[in-house]
Amino acid sequence: MKAAQFEQHEPETVEEAVSLLESLDDRAILAGGQSMVPMLRFRLAVPETVIDINQIDALDYLEEDNDWLRIGALARHADVEHADVIQEKYGSFADAAPLVADPQIRNRGTVAGAVAQADPKGDWGSVLLAHEGEVVAHGPDGERTIPADEFFLLPYDTTLDENELLTELRVPTPAAHEGSAYHKLKRKVGDYAMAGSAARLVLDDDGRIERAGIGLTAVDITNVRATDAEDHLEGERPGSDLFKRAGELAAEQSNPESDEHGDAGYKERMVNVLTQRALGDAAERAGLVKRRVTQ
Amino acid sequence: MTDTREITLTVNGTEHTIEVEPRQLLVHAIREELDLTGTHIGCDTGNCGACTVLRDGEPIKSCLMFATQADGSDLMTVEGMEDLPEAGGELHPLQEGFREEHGLQCGYCTPGMIMAGKALLDENPNPSEADIREAISGNLCRCTGYQNIVRSIEYAAEELEHGEIAAADGGVAIDADANADGEFDCGVENCCGGPAAEGDGDGDRGSDPASRGERR
Repeated sequence: MKAAQFEQHEPETVEEAVSLLESLDDRAILAGGQSMVPMLRFRLAVPETVIDINQIDALDYLEEDNDWLRIGALARHADVEHADVIQEKYGSFADAAPLVADPQIRNRGTVAGAVAQADPKGDWGSVLLAHEGEVVAHGPDGERTIPADEFFLLPYDTTLDENELLTELRVPTPAAHEGSAYHKLKRKVGDYAMAGSAARLVLDDDGRIERAGIGLTAVDITNVRATDAEDHLEGERPGSDLFKRAGELAAEQSNPESDEHGDAGYKERMVNVLTQRALGDAAERAGLVKRRVTQ
Repeated sequence: MTDTREITLTVNGTEHTIEVEPRQLLVHAIREELDLTGTHIGCDTGNCGACTVLRDGEPIKSCLMFATQADGSDLMTVEGMEDLPEAGGELHPLQEGFREEHGLQCGYCTPGMIMAGKALLDENPNPSEADIREAISGNLCRCTGYQNIVRSIEYAAEELEHGEIAAADGGVAIDADANADGEFDCGVENCCGGPAAEGDGDGDRGSDPASRGERR
């Protein structure tokens, strides 16, 4: 099916995009388009106007400064997949990127667009939550930042205001002893997750867990943090018994629905296993832990 | 009534200026405006990869992009393969590979598979089987002929590696290679790739989309 007719705008600056958002009523933002184009052509979205932000060159970046890893709104999944800084320092991002969709889609789809889409089965929301990241948005009143755990509201719904454009995702640069990982279960390449778990561990000099972050995919109405498991981990030394209990707590806090891929009980067990694996990899990458933790 | 826009696409080295509606997909522009129907539309959802083309050297699904978004791009479609220097005026080694190794059955997915294979070999001239399967993971073959598609791309990789030698002695190397790979010739199993083929010794390597999934 063809998309319905729409008027097209291609702003070249963030300010131009925001003023278009302000002045136009019925509009959709088009970034990578790997979800939006099918939505338009199946007429699930029938906007009068499409604001294509791909010409805003200032949003095409992936960079690290002293405080943050910053992912601009036009950075593609493939940019994250192939960036040296990601491979070296951001395990969860390096794990998640090649698991998103397929190579062609990763060449076009954007990480920020996937987060803005807020599909509870999306991978990046969990990674962002585990890292206690932030979403940067530009609106008529300028820039604001939204903590990741205040961003997701409902499936496909976020706390972005109507006239705001998501311009950047950012996560804190790693501490001295920090590691992260992402594990995902899916039937085949290209599928969304049946379940997924992102974990980030920050250890103190003594080897105890100072901060723990766990984000879960596809097991609730949004990507969610497993706060009970996080609380259980903090202040403790990494170990398989500890991670086992954290996996159980994450599973208990998740709310998966039964579907053709498996019943809710199965998915809860998968949350448990995937969380343990992600924690094991995160601990190993954080250093101070010699052997991979097995379940 | 309908607003159209003028865009310029360089396709297989030839520049085209066409008028498109903002809602027109790139794949429709390629097929309907430029009459290059080698690029196929398989699924309407972005799953199948039959519409894969190279945009500025990168494989993309041309059904997931509006034509206006490709304005100014350099595109390559399957029709451009035989014009590449490696083709030597005939079939490109990838096309040759699909013929030699029976990489096509109904042929519908073939243009997308060839473009995905081309993108892979441009980046990685010596891919492992796992690399090849990853590179074509965004492409579905409903005949489930994945085994032979992988072999076809392996054939092309070898052929391209020996390309200089082949050129030096006037292309004889192509025949020699075909003979060397005699185990993959038109045997019953490989020829039709149907259930009988899957039931044989290496059928468990997974030739259907469901089981070819995670290989990392």
